[in-house]
Amino acid sequence: MRVIEPLLIILAMIFPFVGIKSHDLSTYIYWTAVVSLYLAYTTYKRWEIE
Amino acid sequence: MNSFLIVVFLYAVAGTAIALYARKIGIRDDVDYYIAGRNVSGAISALTYAATTYSAFMMIGLVGLSYASGVGAYGFELFYLVGTLMLLTYYAPKIWNMSKELDVVSPAELLGKRFGSATAISVATISLIALIPYTSIQLIGVSLVIEKLSGIGFNAGIAISALLIALWAFIGGLRGVAWTDALQGVIMISASLVALLYVFSMNPDFASEIPKLGDLLVVPNKIWTPSRFISLTVPWFFFALTNPQVFQRIFIPKNERALKRMVVYFGAFGLTYTIIVTLIGLMLRVMSQSGGFPAINDRDLVTPTLLSMMPEWMALFVGLSILAAAITTANSIILSLSSMVSRDLFKNPLAGRMAIIILTLAVAVFASSRPAYIVELAVMSSTLLLSTLPLVVAIVHTRFERGFEALITAFIVGVVLSYLKYPFTGLAVLAIGFSVIMLTNMPKRR
Repeated sequence: MRVIEPLLIILAMIFPFVGIKSHDLSTYIYWTAVVSLYLAYTTYKRWEIE
Repeated sequence: MNSFLIVVFLYAVAGTAIALYARKIGIRDDVDYYIAGRNVSGAISALTYAATTYSAFMMIGLVGLSYASGVGAYGFELFYLVGTLMLLTYYAPKIWNMSKELDVVSPAELLGKRFGSATAISVATISLIALIPYTSIQLIGVSLVIEKLSGIGFNAGIAISALLIALWAFIGGLRGVAWTDALQGVIMISASLVALLYVFSMNPDFASEIPKLGDLLVVPNKIWTPSRFISLTVPWFFFALTNPQVFQRIFIPKNERALKRMVVYFGAFGLTYTIIVTLIGLMLRVMSQSGGFPAINDRDLVTPTLLSMMPEWMALFVGLSILAAAITTANSIILSLSSMVSRDLFKNPLAGRMAIIILTLAVAVFASSRPAYIVELAVMSSTLLLSTLPLVVAIVHTRFERGFEALITAFIVGVVLSYLKYPFTGLAVLAIGFSVIMLTNMPKRR
């Protein structure tokens, strides 16, 4: 696991703490999008066992 | 017999039949009994991983937490999911390989192969100390639901839950538990979806009314301060590598392909379930502002209140899903702990089988006494189990052979700081654990 990968994901996950202040579902939708993209990446990336 | 007891009876019959069928496949030794002969498909591995991970906390605790604290609860749960995916994609293939090559069955046994039997015994003991209160909480939660839906007493609910936990684990071992978990995982997610549709039907204008929640829609806010978020998130972030009941599931997929499927399907299940459950909490909170749902101060009463408003068939289905979520988590923990009794503490298969019954009784007695400090103990469980993380990381990344000192030091620090209610106990446990394991394994100078 390259260090950059977890770092990027964690930074993406904490972004709403500093970057989203709107009183609607923006934070909710943003977090859903980040985790969905990461799950898709996990699905399609080549694991070292393959 | 009332309706909910009939549903529970049918559920018990179906689960027992599955466990008996699983037993017919054949149980020759501990490998068959505790890790299903390392021969489980990706889909079943994923469902048992999900059903074990997601407890009654989701439909009771997380619905209530989302209701009370807003979108921060969703972030907290997703941090756990992202952490699990991150750790599993990197560590699971390595740990799966190691468990096969070293022919180990329990998580403590794997650590013991590198760090010695004293460490294995200590890991098993720490797991027992940490997980008995956590399992008791599951029984308490589900017995309250049984009490509310069936009208039978709290202790009778404890007895029914304990019987199902011990019976399915005892009869079918992990294969029985995995198959019953798979069925129950489907029940859990289906019932949550039904509940979401019901709540949405009560207020289809949810999206336009959501701004009423104000600060509950952003982080940080008064409830989700950065320090609170960190203190809650850290212990759960590493759950996949520290909690034996899920760590042991890394051993069970039949091949590399099944292992990858386990992780990916689990991720899809986890994301879907988390979205559904947190949306229920947020929707109910919006409705509480307009009088469509009562304003509730005790967040653990949000789901029971919702159940009391649902049509009977729906309340029974959702109630059953909460029972299933608690049973799947509890029997997986009991089975994992019994594997450590069998392999690490007594090195005797009979002791392991007896441990299923004794541990279930201990959990039931602990739950029925409902000590005031039980919630604190259960919350502590993940923090205390963090003391095993430096050892897990070390077996993958280093050739270190001393882990006992780090384990014990980190555990003691965890107990003391948890007792003092220090907010960053998880971080302190990790800092101490990693520091001690580095220091004790540094090459000696002449």
